[in-house]
Amino acid sequence: MTNNKFKILLIEDELNIHSFMQTILEAEGYQVLKATTGAQGKLIFRSHLPDLILLDLGLPDMDGTELIREIRSYSVTPILVLSARIQETDKVEALDLGANDYITKPFGTAELLARVRAALRSQRSFSGGSPQGGWKSQDLEIRYDQRRVFVHGQEVHLTQTEYNIVSLLALHSGKVMTYSAIITAIWGSSDNGSIKKLQVNMANIRKKLHSRPGENNIIYNELGVGYRMCEGSDWQLPEPGSQN
Amino acid sequence: MKSFFTRDVLITAGVLGAAFLISLLLERQLDCSTSVPALFVLAVFLITLNTQGYGWGIVGSLISVLSINYAFTFPYFRFTFSAPENLISALVMLIVTVLTSTLTTKVKRQEKEKAESEKEKMRANLLRAISHDLRTPLTAIYGSCSAIMENYDRLSYSKQMQLLGEIRSDAQWLIRMVENLLSVTRIDDGQVRVIKTPIVLEELIDSVLLRFHKQYPQQKVDVNIPDEFLSIPMDAMLIEQVLMNLLENAVQHARGMNWLMIQVTLQKQQAIFDVLDNGAGIPREMLPHLFDGFPEKNKIPSDGKKRNMGIGLSVCASIIHAHGGTIKARNRPEGGADIRFVLDLEEKEHDQQ
Repeated sequence: MTNNKFKILLIEDELNIHSFMQTILEAEGYQVLKATTGAQGKLIFRSHLPDLILLDLGLPDMDGTELIREIRSYSVTPILVLSARIQETDKVEALDLGANDYITKPFGTAELLARVRAALRSQRSFSGGSPQGGWKSQDLEIRYDQRRVFVHGQEVHLTQTEYNIVSLLALHSGKVMTYSAIITAIWGSSDNGSIKKLQVNMANIRKKLHSRPGENNIIYNELGVGYRMCEGSDWQLPEPGSQN
Repeated sequence: MKSFFTRDVLITAGVLGAAFLISLLLERQLDCSTSVPALFVLAVFLITLNTQGYGWGIVGSLISVLSINYAFTFPYFRFTFSAPENLISALVMLIVTVLTSTLTTKVKRQEKEKAESEKEKMRANLLRAISHDLRTPLTAIYGSCSAIMENYDRLSYSKQMQLLGEIRSDAQWLIRMVENLLSVTRIDDGQVRVIKTPIVLEELIDSVLLRFHKQYPQQKVDVNIPDEFLSIPMDAMLIEQVLMNLLENAVQHARGMNWLMIQVTLQKQQAIFDVLDNGAGIPREMLPHLFDGFPEKNKIPSDGKKRNMGIGLSVCASIIHAHGGTIKARNRPEGGADIRFVLDLEEKEHDQQ
């Protein structure tokens, strides 16, 4: 699939950062729209309707979170937040307000492009019901239709809850899922012990996926925020008897 | 402010009350009223030492003069302002107490100023050390960029890539340095308490090693942590930085190191983190001052690589102390260094379920 047609709005006040990000994105075939203030960003957003917004939280004229709140009130366009490492709480707040993901400065080319791809992918709406076909990354394969999971071709046996968590992360692969988003999706509601319950489940999943600290490239830990499934791709089963 | 006020009122009232009672006792039982003024002077002195500012000392001395006049000079238990000797002794008493209180206040203020200037000095040292450390990579970045821009056509591709690679690693180093500084100012200046959230040990180690391997892909790190599920309350970003600094220090400073390990053990209600290596160890004369800032300039070996050691470790120390933990360094008997820090496991909040 070529991504020539994707328009990305980059709202960032530092011109140097603008310049290198634009280079990276244009080299990959994206069209980049520039805004250096929040007000300008809003204007360009309305007139050009980009497919993705890259937003720096520290803007000169307004708080980046304010802008997220406003855009979310009338649009579902994916928003990818650029944040400094020190702004831990801002990151969580931005995600809670409806940002789709964040990327921590400084970032490399590969990391930026991976997040952009994941954010653009999330734009495709997930049709309700159970997902069809499967999902595959370098080390992990999931067959949604059979609820089975394989690591390096070897099947691993997960409990119901563990399977639900892994497949949820795979559905949003490449993008961070906050603790609260996972908890709501898996258990429906959350209470004081929920995060710990999730963390214990994740510990068991890691064991079953043979992920050892430092050698784990399946599910990444975003400390204090949530989890992120590595990049992968969906595949469809040619279903016998289906109309396609 | 309010609490200081009530505290000072209580101190003043208590000390004066005690002085009054003792004086009464002395006079009634031993009949030595001459020591009464001395006793009150002592009382005022104590009040000034233990309260804020001049005010309470002066209030105390006024009350003292009045109570001596009222209770301990003839006519007893009546105010007399006619007898000249009473007035004179009262005046002397007042002057003495006011002088004592101003003196003690002055001493207290001087101590405070001394501590301030000490802090100021440390800050200046830090600034000097940093500026010095920042200049080197910045010079290299500037130079490499100019070299590439001015000789673009003449430089071979591989030479350009080499220069660009150096620029990138210098920039990465600068970023980590700035992160360290931001953490320190966050802890030292604003008096911000670290906000602890329960962090799963395995996830922390994974996250640290992922970052570490990005910068040092060739350096293997052994991991030895308890098997059980363990979550430790901490500011994850800061502790991550501590571990990162310790690993990086080992890579940059432990000469001859080819084995590096993160180990976590449990003891009572504490998690003990060790970063171990089998390098040259820490010179004995550096051990006592490893964590308190910036070794004297002439003690830093001047082979470029040694930069950042003092700052990195003092950052670790302030982060661990802000967590209420301890950090220590020792040389292992079998060779190499062991930096150990200890964090509490206390999990009071939402631990049920």
